[in-house]
Amino acid sequence: MEPLEALARTKLSNKRVIAVMSAKGGVGKSIISALLSLSFSSSRQTTLIDLDIHTMASTKLFGLEGKVHEVNKKGIVPFSFGKLGVISLGGIVKDRYVVLPGSNTRDVMQSLIAYSDVGEIIVFDLPPGLGDEVLLLEHLTDFTPIVVTIPSKVSVKVVEYLLRYLKERGKRPVLVVNMAYFDCNGKKARPFGGMDYVKNVSEKYGLSLVEAPIDPEIEDYIGRIHEYNGVVRSKIKEVENLVGFPPYSSS
Amino acid sequence: MHEWSVAEGILRSVIEWAKENNLDSVRKVKVAIPSFTFLELDILKEAYDTLKRGTVLEKSSLEVVYKDPLFKCRNCGNTFNLNQVLGELNEVREEFGEEYPLHLVPGLAPAFIKCPKCGSNDVEVSPQDITIEEVEVNGTAGSSG
Ligand SMILES: [Zn+2]
Repeated sequence: MEPLEALARTKLSNKRVIAVMSAKGGVGKSIISALLSLSFSSSRQTTLIDLDIHTMASTKLFGLEGKVHEVNKKGIVPFSFGKLGVISLGGIVKDRYVVLPGSNTRDVMQSLIAYSDVGEIIVFDLPPGLGDEVLLLEHLTDFTPIVVTIPSKVSVKVVEYLLRYLKERGKRPVLVVNMAYFDCNGKKARPFGGMDYVKNVSEKYGLSLVEAPIDPEIEDYIGRIHEYNGVVRSKIKEVENLVGFPPYSSS
Repeated sequence: MHEWSVAEGILRSVIEWAKENNLDSVRKVKVAIPSFTFLELDILKEAYDTLKRGTVLEKSSLEVVYKDPLFKCRNCGNTFNLNQVLGELNEVREEFGEEYPLHLVPGLAPAFIKCPKCGSNDVEVSPQDITIEEVEVNGTAGSSG
């Protein structure tokens, strides 16, 4: 009987839970999480919870540095952008670095879930790798994974571990290939490598695949990602359509 | 205000436990709370008494004990107690006020506490969670962790 766990489960029950994951860092997972949750929030009350508690990228993407979450009777109040609420450890520790033993990171992630006031759809931005965050989410709820990679062979090979694990757990993620191409006057240039290898992998696992382009303009929107309406955002809308709304997770 | 979430967590877990054990009435719940969270007892009890209405805990009372953590530095092996880091904790409380991070997330303790001997953050804290120590049901006491 654990109060924290019971509360975390309650917060996620009857909600649509999406986990944006990657086995590898530096593939743009946080931007995808941000754009995907913005996309969902155009129709439903959505909460983005940044579980990458060491980098807290969402704080930077949304320009929330130094801001502190309010707390009311319903819990930690998300920073709000229309129907999107953002929860980040950055809103609890401000700009302080967070160095923690492994056992505590799980506890901190669980607290963020348990003590937050959340919407109907919850998007988790997970830290790279296959660690406590994945096990914790599995323990708490039935989630839909979105796996992010770039086309580079190393990245795809590393991500394949994650795909294999998810398959064994009976989950079928949507695969997002970020930075897949650069649009040069209608012609696709592929600086991070061709799509053949990724396509083989996605076929092998029977996954839907979404290619998101490189958009240098995104850089200008760091700190106000909610105002970005460019080509990557419209591509990520495809992910939203693939994931769909119901059936809601039941547990 | 965070006390409301804590009360909800306590109630949820006891309600689940009671359901699993087919119990229809709980008399008393005893919880232990880490002292460094500085949770306010009055607010916690008020929240508990409000939220318990209409549940199997409707007639139950809440008893709270505070537990002092013990710290162990994994870098140099030094063990120390709350008094030895009270200064650090008070600084954090002054900086953040009501939204004091360890009030919200006690698991963050090692990020805010350095070993007084070697300055390392590699500190193990026990205990740091809010735990249910005892539940009394119709005269019998069931204990659970
Ligand atoms: Zn030490």
